[in-house]
Amino acid sequence: MESNRQGAKASYVALVFFVGLWLLLPSAVRRFNREAFAEFQAPALHLVGKGRDLARYWELKSRPAEELVAASRDLARINAALELKLHTLEDARLENVRLRGLLHYPQSSEFATVVARVANREATSWWQRIVIRKGRSDGIRPGCPVVFGDRVIGRVSTVHLTTSEVELVTSPGFRCTAFLEGDTERRVVHVGGTAGRSLSAPRAKVTIIPIDYSPPAGQAAKVVTTGLGGVFPAGLLLGTLDTGTTETAEKNMKEAWLAPAKELNFIQEVSVLIPKYPTAGEILLTPADNAKPEELR
Amino acid sequence: MSLSWTWFFLLLATYPWLLGVDLLTDACAGTGVALGISGVVIIAPCRRLRRWQAVLFAGCVGFLYEAMRPVPDGSVALVLVVGAIFLTSNRPSIRELPLMFRGAILMNSLACTGWFIASGLRHQAEVPLVSMHFLGQWLLHLMCAAILAVLLLVPIALVQNFTMDKAGVPRADEAT
Repeated sequence: MESNRQGAKASYVALVFFVGLWLLLPSAVRRFNREAFAEFQAPALHLVGKGRDLARYWELKSRPAEELVAASRDLARINAALELKLHTLEDARLENVRLRGLLHYPQSSEFATVVARVANREATSWWQRIVIRKGRSDGIRPGCPVVFGDRVIGRVSTVHLTTSEVELVTSPGFRCTAFLEGDTERRVVHVGGTAGRSLSAPRAKVTIIPIDYSPPAGQAAKVVTTGLGGVFPAGLLLGTLDTGTTETAEKNMKEAWLAPAKELNFIQEVSVLIPKYPTAGEILLTPADNAKPEELR
Repeated sequence: MSLSWTWFFLLLATYPWLLGVDLLTDACAGTGVALGISGVVIIAPCRRLRRWQAVLFAGCVGFLYEAMRPVPDGSVALVLVVGAIFLTSNRPSIRELPLMFRGAILMNSLACTGWFIASGLRHQAEVPLVSMHFLGQWLLHLMCAAILAVLLLVPIALVQNFTMDKAGVPRADEAT
């Protein structure tokens, strides 16, 4: 018993030593440790996700043939309408390219899209995030915008080999600029996630709303991305103003709560927009020796 | 099976439970509560494993929890390692089932407190440490951690004891 107690004392001393060493270690070691444990869990997350997909597949397969025929007929009609729209948009794109060429206007951001299934969700006061089943091996990079249709879901915060963590719009670390519907002068406002409360719907906060702004009557004002900063493309829907605007304590600005555009806690699939060219942030973080001249255009 | 690798086999046997609770958190994502059983899963191993094995096991469980969450590095692992050292030095305190329940509730609450406060310190400007928001959320998470500890201790301990029996680890009465 006595030797056990002495062993315990030695263990506490060793622990203090290791904690000191842990604090002094370069962050790369801690990052490697985190990455190793994340990769250990990745196969299980993939397995669970694929199991869910299989369950969904069998559920769909068990539906009556009439229902599937009706669904495919509806889809065919939607496809036909979309094809028409696609032709119109292609004309507009070509016109856009021609005009940009005439004006020598800088190239706008272009994105490649990667569709990813959601493996896991988690929401607490300090973070709201989802884990998706696509990672570094699929070209995903930290900071890439994550959307569902034209609605913003969040931004990739951490990338592992085959999985990525996405910080949702309502998560405290999320920041973005936006325009408000009904503001004819198109003034920029700020959208940021906030520390949430359990048992209530997560919300983000819209700040620096001009004092003379009033939302359109009879409907919730939409909040859309500006495209400034090069992370999110312009015009994506962030959400709607949840309640009316309130004046700040200084009475020089207004603020409001933002209800996300998509029910974030039930989402099954998202699209990750991967910039084809490095963003301004990535260029700044790239060591000058490694930067390729063509990337710095 | 080599006894020195028992902690690793035990980790593999325990991981499905950790994953299961992650999936439970996923299902409850709308409530905004994160569930965890990191403190519960170290109780049975601390009764039977040698100290260094229990410490290694507890550290790995803590790092597994932190790996996929924006929790400050080492906050959960450190709490669990200190807990493992304490429990392996005072094995009589978890020898019987009621004492195991007490240990599980305490350890799970401590682990929950570890990540909650460590993460909350990053948001002090928004949510002060002494505020109803902070204390309310913390108590809610503590309550969930305690309930999970009571509900899951026995099934987890059964699986872990089975694994340790197969590995030839001495029973709790014989372990020093």
